[in-house]
Amino acid sequence: MILRYILRRLAFLPLTLLLVALATFVVLRLTGNPVDIFLDINRTPEQVEALTQRLHLDLPIPAQFLIFLRDLLHGDFGESLQFSGSAATVVWDRAGATFQLAGTALGLAVLLGVTGGIVCAVWRDRLVDTIISSIAVAGQSMPSFWLGMLLIEFFALQMRWLPTSGYGEPRHLVLPAITLATILLPNFVLITRTSILELMGEQFVVTGRSKGLSRGRVLITHILPNAINPVLSFLGIQIGTLMAGSIITETIYAWPGVGRLLIGSIFKRDVPVVEAAVFFIATTIALANLTVDVLQMLIDPRIRRS
Amino acid sequence: MQRRHLLAALAAPLLMAAAPAFAADKVLTVGAAVFPDSLKPGIGSFASQSLLVQTNEQLVQRDAKGDPQPTLATSWEQIDPLTLRFHLRQGVKFTDGVEFTADDVVYTVKYVQDPQNAYGAAARISQVSEAVAVDKYTVDIKTKVVFPTLLRAMAEILILPKHYAEKVGTKGLTDRPMGAGPFIFQEWVPGDHYTLVANKNYWAGAPKVDKIIIRTIPDGSTRVAALVSGEAQIIEEVPIDQLEQVDASGIAKVDSIATSVGLVLTFDPTIKPFDNAKIRQAFDYAIDKEIILKQILKGKGELLDGQVLTKAALGYNPNLKARPYDPAKAKQMLTEAGYDFNTPVPITTQNGKYVSDTDICTAIAGMLNKIGVKATVNTVEGGVFQSMSNVLKMGPLHMIGWYSLGDADFATVWYTKAGHRTHWYSEKYEQLFLAARSTNDEKERVRLYHEMGALAYEETPSLFLFGLPSLYGVNKTTTGFSAPSDKILHLQKVELK
Repeated sequence: MILRYILRRLAFLPLTLLLVALATFVVLRLTGNPVDIFLDINRTPEQVEALTQRLHLDLPIPAQFLIFLRDLLHGDFGESLQFSGSAATVVWDRAGATFQLAGTALGLAVLLGVTGGIVCAVWRDRLVDTIISSIAVAGQSMPSFWLGMLLIEFFALQMRWLPTSGYGEPRHLVLPAITLATILLPNFVLITRTSILELMGEQFVVTGRSKGLSRGRVLITHILPNAINPVLSFLGIQIGTLMAGSIITETIYAWPGVGRLLIGSIFKRDVPVVEAAVFFIATTIALANLTVDVLQMLIDPRIRRS
Repeated sequence: MQRRHLLAALAAPLLMAAAPAFAADKVLTVGAAVFPDSLKPGIGSFASQSLLVQTNEQLVQRDAKGDPQPTLATSWEQIDPLTLRFHLRQGVKFTDGVEFTADDVVYTVKYVQDPQNAYGAAARISQVSEAVAVDKYTVDIKTKVVFPTLLRAMAEILILPKHYAEKVGTKGLTDRPMGAGPFIFQEWVPGDHYTLVANKNYWAGAPKVDKIIIRTIPDGSTRVAALVSGEAQIIEEVPIDQLEQVDASGIAKVDSIATSVGLVLTFDPTIKPFDNAKIRQAFDYAIDKEIILKQILKGKGELLDGQVLTKAALGYNPNLKARPYDPAKAKQMLTEAGYDFNTPVPITTQNGKYVSDTDICTAIAGMLNKIGVKATVNTVEGGVFQSMSNVLKMGPLHMIGWYSLGDADFATVWYTKAGHRTHWYSEKYEQLFLAARSTNDEKERVRLYHEMGALAYEETPSLFLFGLPSLYGVNKTTTGFSAPSDKILHLQKVELK
């Protein structure tokens, strides 16, 4: 049954991606002629013509879109204008860095966020709750570029524990991952806390306690499985935020991921790379959402049945 | 395939950590502000050329003033009005051992001219008909018409090794550049860094460091942090509000130089009342350029002397001076000219394209507001700016920087019909420009440019503001580096203590 659900969702995936592709395509052509923007101001007419033909900009827009779709079906976004090689390869080569950063950040956010939320709920209104909740609210309101600068200032310049930026070794990953995790972490704390507290008043919890189960036992076997679902829903919604946040984080820490590639390519109107990168990000978000939904079904039988 | 890719991404850091650099290696790390996305020849940006020139040099290179200096060519002469002859440096070897000869120059010129290669500097040599190898070490570059800027344009063209380029094609050249330059390609990681090792057989003597790593650090504050922490010995483009922080660090200092970029605010005289030169001049009196230079640009760079050219450029007119700040006079001139103070005057600018561009526009709008002009700042994205510029619909005033790269022709062309960048038009200016372009006599050219400068000062098609600075941060123990006026890194003489 779950398999059928997955298949049904996967069947809709192409439609989502098609809409994304269409939107990217239209926006790229609405914001000026890519040829004018990509080529040097001293361009020659021959160069303009060569690039116009290469991007099929001499054809009517519907024809351009059809060509774009045909190539898309073959997984071909065209050759990058600034890199050597196909746009898809260029994006894929940078995907490893983004997965590494976003994956670590997400892991950190979930682990610390859920743990923090549990602590807050269990010791509700005690000092530890006040401290963690306050930090979470502060973290929620802190822009990530600002936090990034503070972290660099403290850990790289004052303490000299970590490099200011860069990529390659595990120590390079620490600050960017913390910065990116902070975008979601406070919310995980607050959502976990709220959903546990809500459940604590539920009848099945009261029943569990009254038949003599320990608080810990009730928490682990009855409350947590029910509390995890709102956290997962939030996670699903926020995958997009995470990808957007990675663009800023990658810029601050000179991290060679897809986010920075996308920004750079937009400024230069490297059309094939922009299309490939947006497509990549959309696919990642869609698949992540699907994974979250499936996880929810596995955890919660009520969703499975509806 | 996918799994292997991910595994590689995860394993790479571990492998790198396990292979420490040799202790004796002298490694110079540069933090680059703008990083090209590939090493493709002819991407036409300074950032790209700055990387490519490490392996592939030009026949001539610009010095700090923008004047051409012998590089792969040792001398040159104009043998007739349409032929520039280059005598090549003899005995120079590409790093694969093959000798550099006239054939490589001929091949490179052809490569640049091929529209399929979208070579950025192609238009700079658009009047070249062909390059001919006279003998092994002599090349004639022939032009269709008299073409006085050819020599300076050759500073934009990096010589490709013919045998290698023919073998590997553009893709090969991009993946692994090879030339006779001071450094040898080692590793290119897109969006991260470019590593090169010293070419011990470099014709001008082996570089003083064993290895250079040019790292991209797009964020200004992070770049400064990398410099101050000692991770990088040289960084490009110190943010102007962090100059003091660098100097106060005790670890590094700021090295600044005036570039050849003239930052101007250009009028659209087809929008009334800006067809009136008197109104344009009045605006000029309303701007306190001195205080902007001092406060916003922190005294770096220079005040343009009532012309688009910076002081070092060929053709700079020393007799012109910027109009003084005189708001009372400005207001009076506007009133006399019947200026309608309700006219909206949006100033169109990009954000971050030039040093403090938006801040400068905001300050200027404020100064214009003071005399009652309804000026506002209209910040647009680069692509939008470019589209507006292509159809010449920039509004009454827009901010732009023009590079002269040491020769008036490159910057003044934007005020002619051929430049397609301004509505302002002067028959006289046009004639002078063409005359200056049609003679190889440098004295005569300078005279003509002086006349053009004086004309543009009177007509004020633009408000001439500042020669922009280039600001580098350099570690105090690093010697042999000087900030380049054209943003192209020359690192062969850099020493680490």
